[in-house]
Amino acid sequence: MSALQQYALLFGMVVGAVGFVLSVYGIARSLGKTRQEPGKDVPATSGKLSRDPVWARYHVRYYGYALLFLAFDMEMAYMYPWAVVYREVGLKALLDMGVFLGILYLGLLYGWSQGAFRRQR
Amino acid sequence: MISGARQAEPTWFHRVVARAMARRLGAFVVPGPDVARAYGLDVEAAGLQTVDTPRHAGVLLLVGELPEGLREAAAVAYAQMPRPRAVFAVGAGNLAPLPDPDVSVALSQESLVAGVEELRRSLAEGAFAPETEDFEAEVVLEEKEGEEGMDHGHMHHGSGEEEAESDGEENESDQEEDQEEESGEKEIGEDQLENFMSMIEMTEGMPASGDGLIMEWVPAPYGPLFPGLPGGLSLTFTLDGDTVAETEVEPGIEGHFPAALLRGPVESIAERAAKLDPLTPLAYRLLARRAVEEASGVGISDEEALSRIGALERERAASHMGWAASFGYLIGDGWLSQRAARLQLALLRASNIEELERIRNETENFVRKALRTPLLGSKLGGIGALDDPGAEVMSGPVARAAGSEKDARSEDPSYRKLSFSPIVRHGNDALTRFQLRLEESVQSLDLVLKAGIITDTVSLANNISSGTGTATVETPRGSATLNVTLEDGEVTAVELDAPSTRNVRLVEAVTVGKEVADALVGVGSLDLSPWEISR
Amino acid sequence: MTTAMIILVLLAGAYAVAVLEGWATNGRFQPAGPVLDAVAMLGRESVVTRSSDRIFFEVGPVLLLISALLAAAVLPLAPGLIITDLATGALFVNAALAYVMVALLMAGWGPDGVYAMVGGWRFLGQLVGYSMLIVMPLTAVAMRAESLFTTRIVESQGAMWNVIFQPMGFILFFLAALAVCFLPPFDLPTAPGELAGGVMAEYTGARLAIMRLARAVLVVTLAVTVTVFYMGGWLGPVLPPWAWTLGKSLLVAAAMLFVGRFIPRIREEHLLQWFWKFGIPLALLNILYVGIVLLVVDS
Repeated sequence: MSALQQYALLFGMVVGAVGFVLSVYGIARSLGKTRQEPGKDVPATSGKLSRDPVWARYHVRYYGYALLFLAFDMEMAYMYPWAVVYREVGLKALLDMGVFLGILYLGLLYGWSQGAFRRQR
Repeated sequence: MISGARQAEPTWFHRVVARAMARRLGAFVVPGPDVARAYGLDVEAAGLQTVDTPRHAGVLLLVGELPEGLREAAAVAYAQMPRPRAVFAVGAGNLAPLPDPDVSVALSQESLVAGVEELRRSLAEGAFAPETEDFEAEVVLEEKEGEEGMDHGHMHHGSGEEEAESDGEENESDQEEDQEEESGEKEIGEDQLENFMSMIEMTEGMPASGDGLIMEWVPAPYGPLFPGLPGGLSLTFTLDGDTVAETEVEPGIEGHFPAALLRGPVESIAERAAKLDPLTPLAYRLLARRAVEEASGVGISDEEALSRIGALERERAASHMGWAASFGYLIGDGWLSQRAARLQLALLRASNIEELERIRNETENFVRKALRTPLLGSKLGGIGALDDPGAEVMSGPVARAAGSEKDARSEDPSYRKLSFSPIVRHGNDALTRFQLRLEESVQSLDLVLKAGIITDTVSLANNISSGTGTATVETPRGSATLNVTLEDGEVTAVELDAPSTRNVRLVEAVTVGKEVADALVGVGSLDLSPWEISR
Repeated sequence: MTTAMIILVLLAGAYAVAVLEGWATNGRFQPAGPVLDAVAMLGRESVVTRSSDRIFFEVGPVLLLISALLAAAVLPLAPGLIITDLATGALFVNAALAYVMVALLMAGWGPDGVYAMVGGWRFLGQLVGYSMLIVMPLTAVAMRAESLFTTRIVESQGAMWNVIFQPMGFILFFLAALAVCFLPPFDLPTAPGELAGGVMAEYTGARLAIMRLARAVLVVTLAVTVTVFYMGGWLGPVLPPWAWTLGKSLLVAAAMLFVGRFIPRIREEHLLQWFWKFGIPLALLNILYVGIVLLVVDS
């Protein structure tokens, strides 16, 4: 299979999954409609009817991690090609990546020392 | 046909689906699984599966008599269940505004099991019906414009549907209005127009979080029917992200039996007192008896005293196990939750001392394992800590986990005869409370075995006339004090001081500023009974 | 043909996972439970909440299913029994699983309900925690195999399974796999006792059925991933290769489902802290360790 065919197959799976879901919904729909009743479309909040919308600027407390995460996630993009040729290149590859990871790890330690690794109050 | 049938002309396919539904019944328990267990009901063993939200339930299971506030909450939950839905009442009386139950049985495990069978039959036959009616209780109807009620949040949203739809704009314009009110002198000049929609503009005048960021706060109801809290306990957290910024506690359960109803003929005061709290009926019955005896100066025999210790301590052990089951569920430890629930039911059902001895050993075994649960320390340590350990409001296990020796049992001579001394721990956090309650349950069972009697049978003395009496009983949640005034065989005045009424004041301290899971663990560790919180 | 067969196997696996999960949570073994549940869910109304973000609400469950299926598409059950043997297989698994977070965030935001929303954002934080522990151990696996082809990764374990060759990587990856599937003790987005169902709370009827199916498929996918990357995939004596993959995967799935039964839910704070303060340094050490061992072996 060529790469294009492989991706076409994967795309076919996506379409197939959507089709499967739609047909399940279709079967469910054949059993009857959802009756619109008072209170039913309000999100369930333990017996209290809370009609207020909750969409808001949400305060995440892990943004310290999230920033470091970006750095590490980018770094990983370089790791995969390196990993594949590692045995071929040998010691040099280990040292190269060692230096790179070492610097990155210093960044992690720095973030740690600056309190990135805690819940922000 | 069932009350919440789904509208459809039944075909063979509908019948197949209905039969599958009848085999798998997900039940949302009102007031909560903890109350069901305290009544001695094993819902899972009866073939129902308890679910966390009415959205995933097919059956609304109502347990025991429900006060008005809980019936209304149950009606909301019922309205939010997807059809086909059924109402299954176990020992429930008046259910309005809920529809009439599809199956209604007495409060016992046998009738629960029989009821489930009946429910299966009526669901298999009547899950779909050609004609159905809307459920339109007062509580679920749309509020009229301008009415007070739901709008207690910080976001100043209207509660009508149109407003909910266009919530974005509504929100901003509201905040701008707020802000103009607050900074009246400020001119709205050109530079402000330039900053239109800027973060600084939008957030001015709003409360800031600990890290200085200003975000929107959202009110989140936790209770009265929240699966992780005691059934009936109603809190509203104002969430700043996933952190509790403010806590509001609704006092007690609306419409629940108030202490004033203890007034009346003195012969039946114990039976009335048992209704005060379905979680610990015995402790309250005992309390009422003791108060009346104090008032009339009647003494009790040694045997009677022992039988009371036996009954009370058994209830304490069962109550602590019930708490451990709920707490285990809250912290997501399935093993802990299920084992504790089994032990609680076994304790409530035990009929003789030999059986109880066996359960005692099982309990000890369970407690040993539970205390060694991996990661328990990191989950509970330091959570729910209270700054002021000597706070006089605390009593019961919460106080004893904070190093206090406060225990009404220490003053009781018949307890002293059994060489009782309270277990005390220092730590004042959820972990210590957990350890303390588990250890206490074993201690209580040892006391029962020493007393040698597990049920108190002797009825109230009948030569009672007039007087005033005060009695204190150490209930599983702390010391409860009852003061009664008797006149000619009638109780004319009562005054009750229940532990949860005091401990509920600690809720704010253990929730505000905490992540929502930690806040819930803090509340859970207090073991509040919403039933005894006076309104 | 292969595709259809593998998808059927996956569905059968998902069924087994549903039975196992019921067993793990209720302590009851009910082989017919999931099929009855599924039929019953089809018959229930599927409610859409008022003022919901309809697109997010609808896409959430479907995307969860798709991301699990796509990740499974590059995993071999036996030599030749694979949907697409991509040259970037190991990377693709990681990429497809990233959408689990997107799906849950959508499902959390969609219904405009407070429990769901907290659940959705919680899972984003969870991803920030576990994500590196998916990627880094996989790198170490790829180093040994000199390839990202998942089939080569299995073949590279002929002499010794990776679970023995790099146990540290296995442990880290297994924990991360639990977190991806939001299984206890990492069930923060659904947390029954804390959020009353969380991201799943507002799904009813057929939509709930799809959501649960997607989650079960996800567990199977992760179990197969662990098997392929660490347990030698189809390698084993006597039995046919596919039987080995299935058997090992089922064992891994059972371990994933039962481990959380005896541990309280991890606090979000600790989840992030432990994954970053201990997990990532250990994962880097694992890469170093594997690197050195490979150099020694090669020379």
